[in-house]
Amino acid sequence: MEGNLAHLGSGLAIGLATIGPGVGIGTIVGKTIEGMARQPESAGALRTTMFIGIAFAEALALYGFVFAILLFAK
Amino acid sequence: MESAGTSHGHGNIISEMLEEFNLQSTYGQHFFGIDLSPLSNLHLFGLDLSVNKAVVCLWLSTLITFGIIYYAGHGRGLVATGFRNMIEAIFTFIKLNVVEEALGHEGKKWLPFIGGLFFFILINNLIGLIPGSFAPTSNINVTAALAILVFIIFLIAGMIKQGPFKYWAHLAPGGLPKWMYVVLYPIEIITLFMKPLSLAIRLFANMLAGHIVIFSLLALIILFKMSLLMAPLPFLASVIMYAFEIFVALIQAYIFTILSAIYIGSAMHPEH
Repeated sequence: MEGNLAHLGSGLAIGLATIGPGVGIGTIVGKTIEGMARQPESAGALRTTMFIGIAFAEALALYGFVFAILLFAK
Repeated sequence: MESAGTSHGHGNIISEMLEEFNLQSTYGQHFFGIDLSPLSNLHLFGLDLSVNKAVVCLWLSTLITFGIIYYAGHGRGLVATGFRNMIEAIFTFIKLNVVEEALGHEGKKWLPFIGGLFFFILINNLIGLIPGSFAPTSNINVTAALAILVFIIFLIAGMIKQGPFKYWAHLAPGGLPKWMYVVLYPIEIITLFMKPLSLAIRLFANMLAGHIVIFSLLALIILFKMSLLMAPLPFLASVIMYAFEIFVALIQAYIFTILSAIYIGSAMHPEH
């Protein structure tokens, strides 16, 4: 067994940081599909907005990822 | 990781790869199996301007971006065919879906900047998928430079469009009780600086994460002790991740450009 508490922290950082964005991206995509099914003619605009929303939710997970890298490289 | 201790220090590929996998030298000369040691030493004015593989790849992608757009823009004939047609289709997509949506009818003069940004980031992302090369956008310095460029541009565009004092006054939405501004204005200032920060970190972390996942999947082969029974599984998974990386490169270039366009648009036309 090698490693120290920083490695444990880095695993926890990325693991916990993915929970919220996972739920968020699921909600965004699910709601977009609902909207597309209801109004197929607005699918293009909805898809564009969906990607922007995903990018904002995903950024939160990536902050956790950056901190995980910083802790792991310690 | 107990096999790291037994095969350590013999200079073979396995121990080197496991040392890389141990991430001890992430910010040093090696970067997840890519050799980033300087090819030439150059120190000017106290700055380390040594050229390594990342810099060469950045130059290469700059040249490719310039070449593609120059070739597409200076072709002969009124109707674009073949490769020129593809570039023109991508530019039309950016014009319709990014520039006109975020900047409105006056967005036409922003198309060269936004389109150039898209192509530069796309080529930078894709060049990392060539084996042995390095994606310049998986380095925080490149993405931070791009984000600071966008930050300065939307500050200046907002201050020219609205006037230097009105721009700062319009950061917080109008029509609220006076005491709300004491709370709201510092939050808006923090939001202003979070915009380029999140732009830089999003692109950097997305590209870095993809490379680390592919590297980790390939390192699984070594953890499985190179058994022919188990090795095809991580290999197949890494090929699938590689294909997914092409999609991520496209999406991230699109996200960066559309967010830049939205930031420029919101700096020029604040909500009231």
